[in-house]
Amino acid sequence: MKLDFFVNDEAVSLETEPQRRLLDLLREDLGLTGTKEGCSEGECGACTVLLDGKAVHSCLTLAAQLQGRHVTTIEGLEKNGELDILQRCFVEEIAIQCGFCTTGMIMSAKALLLQNPNPTPKEIRTALSGNICRCSGYVQIVNAVSRAASEMGGGV
Amino acid sequence: MRLVGVSHPIQDARGKATGRARYAADMSLPHMTHVAMVFSTIPHGYVTAVDGSEALAVEGVYGVFHCFNTPEYCFNRYRSQYSQTLPLEEPVFAKRVRFVGDRVAAVAARDMETARRAAALVKVTYEELPCALTFEEALEGVNCLEGEEAVKDEFTVEVGEPPRADGLVEVTACTELGRLHHAAMEPHVCVADYDSDLDELTLYSPNQSVHGVRTVVADMLEMPYNRVRVVKTTMGGSFGSKQEWTVEPVAAAVARRLRRPVKLVYDRAEVMRSIVCRGPMRAEMTMRFHKDGLLASVELELLSDAGAYIANSADYARTLVGKMFRCYRIPYGRAHIRLVSSNTPVSGSFRGWSSPEVALMLEHGMEKAARALDMDPVQLRLKNVLLPGDTDPKSGVPIEEIRTRECLLRGAERFRWAERRREDAAFNASNDRFRRGTAVACAGHGNTYYPRYNDFASAEMRMCEDGSVQVEVSIHDHGCGTGAAFQMIVAEALELPLDKVRLKEADTAHTPFDFGCYASRGIFVVGRAAQLCARSLREEILKAAAHKLETTPDRLYFEGPAVRSEDDPAVSLSYQEVAWYSLGTLCRELTAQAKHTVDSNPGVTGTHFAQVEVDTWTGLTRVLDYLAVHDVGQSINPEMCAAQIQGAAQMGCGAALREEIEISPKGQGTCSLSKYHLMNAADLPLIQVELIQDGRSQDGPYGAKSVGEVSFAPAAPAAAAAVNQALGSDLGRIPMTPDRILEYIAKEGC
Repeated sequence: MKLDFFVNDEAVSLETEPQRRLLDLLREDLGLTGTKEGCSEGECGACTVLLDGKAVHSCLTLAAQLQGRHVTTIEGLEKNGELDILQRCFVEEIAIQCGFCTTGMIMSAKALLLQNPNPTPKEIRTALSGNICRCSGYVQIVNAVSRAASEMGGGV
Repeated sequence: MRLVGVSHPIQDARGKATGRARYAADMSLPHMTHVAMVFSTIPHGYVTAVDGSEALAVEGVYGVFHCFNTPEYCFNRYRSQYSQTLPLEEPVFAKRVRFVGDRVAAVAARDMETARRAAALVKVTYEELPCALTFEEALEGVNCLEGEEAVKDEFTVEVGEPPRADGLVEVTACTELGRLHHAAMEPHVCVADYDSDLDELTLYSPNQSVHGVRTVVADMLEMPYNRVRVVKTTMGGSFGSKQEWTVEPVAAAVARRLRRPVKLVYDRAEVMRSIVCRGPMRAEMTMRFHKDGLLASVELELLSDAGAYIANSADYARTLVGKMFRCYRIPYGRAHIRLVSSNTPVSGSFRGWSSPEVALMLEHGMEKAARALDMDPVQLRLKNVLLPGDTDPKSGVPIEEIRTRECLLRGAERFRWAERRREDAAFNASNDRFRRGTAVACAGHGNTYYPRYNDFASAEMRMCEDGSVQVEVSIHDHGCGTGAAFQMIVAEALELPLDKVRLKEADTAHTPFDFGCYASRGIFVVGRAAQLCARSLREEILKAAAHKLETTPDRLYFEGPAVRSEDDPAVSLSYQEVAWYSLGTLCRELTAQAKHTVDSNPGVTGTHFAQVEVDTWTGLTRVLDYLAVHDVGQSINPEMCAAQIQGAAQMGCGAALREEIEISPKGQGTCSLSKYHLMNAADLPLIQVELIQDGRSQDGPYGAKSVGEVSFAPAAPAAAAAVNQALGSDLGRIPMTPDRILEYIAKEGC
C-alpha cells in the first residue's frame, strides 16, 4: 500500500505492506531508533508513541491504521536542540537508569499531560502503569512527571 | 568531598532521554544481514532432519544454518575467564536438544522481518527422548542417557563446630523457589562484524564481560584473541542475564560463515524461553537457637535444578553456601547440596548470585524462630547480626565496618515498627476480608568474588593538552550509572569538573583486561583502580611541574586543579600548563597506570521493611508501604543508589508475590509478559530508602561498598514474611501467588 502520514510533523510517504508494525516503519524504514521494542505484545510500553496525541503501542499499531494520521516519537520532542521539559525533568530528577523504557515512558507521560496538565502522583502512576521500568521503583519517574507538570504551569 | 556523595544524572541520561543513545539493536552496518533463530519445540530429543528449503525460497534469505551444515561449534556460556576449565557442553546448533528453546537453526536474511518469516518455515524433525521437567523426574534420572548420572554435583560444606548445648530451640523452614525472569527491558542482542581479509571479528553486545566473551568466542572459532574484538554497548539492563554468553557465539559463528556483518536480536518470548532464568531451588533449613535467641547453628539441605545445561549452577550453589554467612553470626553452619539437570530453561546468574535465594531461606527460618521463641523479629535479628570487627567464618575475611544493627534500629523507628504491628493486629481483628502484615528482613552480600578467586583491576589515564583527562577502564555499565560514578571518582581525585573526565566503556581493543562487571565488583574493585590511577596521574603531574619549576615534587602541592609551591606563593600551574610543558619540553605524555589487587571483602547488608495487605477473597496481595535501609559505606551517587534500591524492592516484591516462569506439561516455559506479571508504577507504594554511610570500607573508593546486588537480597524475604505475618501462615513456596494464597486459606483458614 502507499502510506501517507506524518511523523514528527513531517509528511512521510512510503510504499509498505498494510500489516507492517508502526514500530518497524519507524525503526527500520525511517531510522527512528529512539522507539524501543521490549515485548512485542503491548505489555511493556517501551515502544509507546503518540498517534494523534494519544499514547499507543507502536508494536500493536499497523501501517493500515496510519493513513493521514500524525505520529509523534521521542525524536519529535526536542526542539532546536532544546530538550522538552519532560525530557529535561527525567534527566534532572535522575529518573533514567538503563534507559530502555525511558523513551516510551516519556511518551506516555506526554500523552498524560496533554490530557491532564495537573495530575496527582496517583494519576501519574495509573497513566504510566502500561510502562514497565525494571531498574527503578518508579519514584524518580513520578517525581519527574510531577515536576514537568508544575514547570509547565498546567499547560503543555 | 565535592562530587562524591552528591547526586548526579548518569553520564548518558541525556542520550537516553532523546532516544539517541545507541543500543546494539539500533546499530546498522553496511551489508548487514539479520538473523532469526529456530528453537526446539520439544523438551528432549534428537534433531533428525532440518528442512530449510521453504525458508531458502523466500526472497532475501541468505542461508539456513543448523547442526547438519555447520561445524560443531561448542562453548560454555558461563566461561568468563581464560583459566576456567569448563566442559564445552552447549553447541551453537544443537543436535540433541535439551529444552524447549534450545537453539536448532538460524536463518539469515536481508532484514529482520524476512528472517523471522523464513525462520517460521524451517521444518525440524525430532526423535523424542524421555524428559524431566520436575525435581522428582530429574532426581529419578528419567532424562539420563546411558552413562549419565541424575545428580550432577553433590557436596557438603561445614563451617564451625556443631553446638553442644542442651535445650536448643529448633525450627525447620521449607522454602521452594520458582524460576525467575530477569526482565531486563532490552532483549538480548549481538551485532557481529567479520572482516575476512584481516580475519578479524568484532562483536558489539550489551554484555557484562568483554574479555569473557572474547575468551569463549575466540576459543570456539579457534581465532587468536587479538583478532576478536568485543565492544560493550549501551545496556538496557541485565540483572545477571547478560553475564552469560548466548547470542554472541551464534552471531559470531554466522558472521564468520557468511563473511559479512550480522545482527541477532531476540524478542521477549525468545529471551524468556531460551536465554537464562534464575533456577528453581528446594530448601530445608534447620536453625537452632539458644533460649535467649542467639543462633547456634544453621543446617541447609538444598536441591537445585540447573535446567538444561549445567552452566554456572555448580558454582552458584557453592557460592550460596558462602552467602549464608554474610549477615548473621552463625557459629556452626552446614550445607548439603545436590544439583540436578532437567529439560527446562537454563538456570544461571541472577542479581545477587544466590544471596537473595539464601536470604529467603534464612529469613523464613528467622520468622519461624521469632514465633517459636516468642521474640520480636527485629529484636531477634539485633541479637544475631554481624558486628564491626567480626570475621566471615566461611571465607576468613574481615567483615570490617558493618551497620546492619543501625539499619535495623533506624528502620524500626522510621517504619514505626511496633506501632504498625499493633495497628495491623487491630485492623485484622476488625476486618473479615483483608489481612495486613508488617515484616522485616536482613541480608548480606559481597563486593568482589575475593577470596573465592583472585581479583584485581587495572586503569589507565592520559591527560590531554588542555588538562582534561581520558580514562581507560573496562567498565560495563548495566544502566545504573557506573560511568557517571567513575567520572565522579576520578574527577574527585583530580579535583576536576566532571566534564573534564571522559571514559568509554569496555572494549577489548582499547581498555585494559578485566574480569567483568559482576559480583558487585564494579565500584569496589575497578573503581578503586581508577581512584589509584588518578592519584598516580597526580604524581606524574607533580614530577613534570617540579621539572619546570626546577624544584622537587615534595615542595609542591595541589590546590584544586593547580600545582602550588611551598616555597613561592606566586606559583600556580594549571594542568594545561603542566601538560604542555611535559609534551613540549619533556617529550612525554602525562599518563598513568594503576592496578588494584583485592585483599578484602567487607560486610555489606540491607534491611528492608514491608507492609502488605492480602485480600483473602482474591488472594491478591498489595504492598502498602516499604522502607529499605542500606549499609552502603560512602555512596558515590546517592540518588542512583536509592533508585537502584527501589528497583530491587520492585523486583523483590514481584519475586515474592507474582513472578514465575512456569513449565507446562509439554516443557514450555512462560514466555510472555502478559503471563509474567512485573510490578508497574500503580502496583507499588512510594518506596522509601535510607542510606547509612558511616560503615565505610577500607579499600573501596572513598569507602564505598556495593549496592546493586545486595539491595535485592532482603527484598523478597521482607515481602514474603509480611504475607506470612498477615495470614499467620508459614508459606514457603515462592512466589506467593493468589492461587497459592487461596489454596492455603481454603485449607487452613486465616
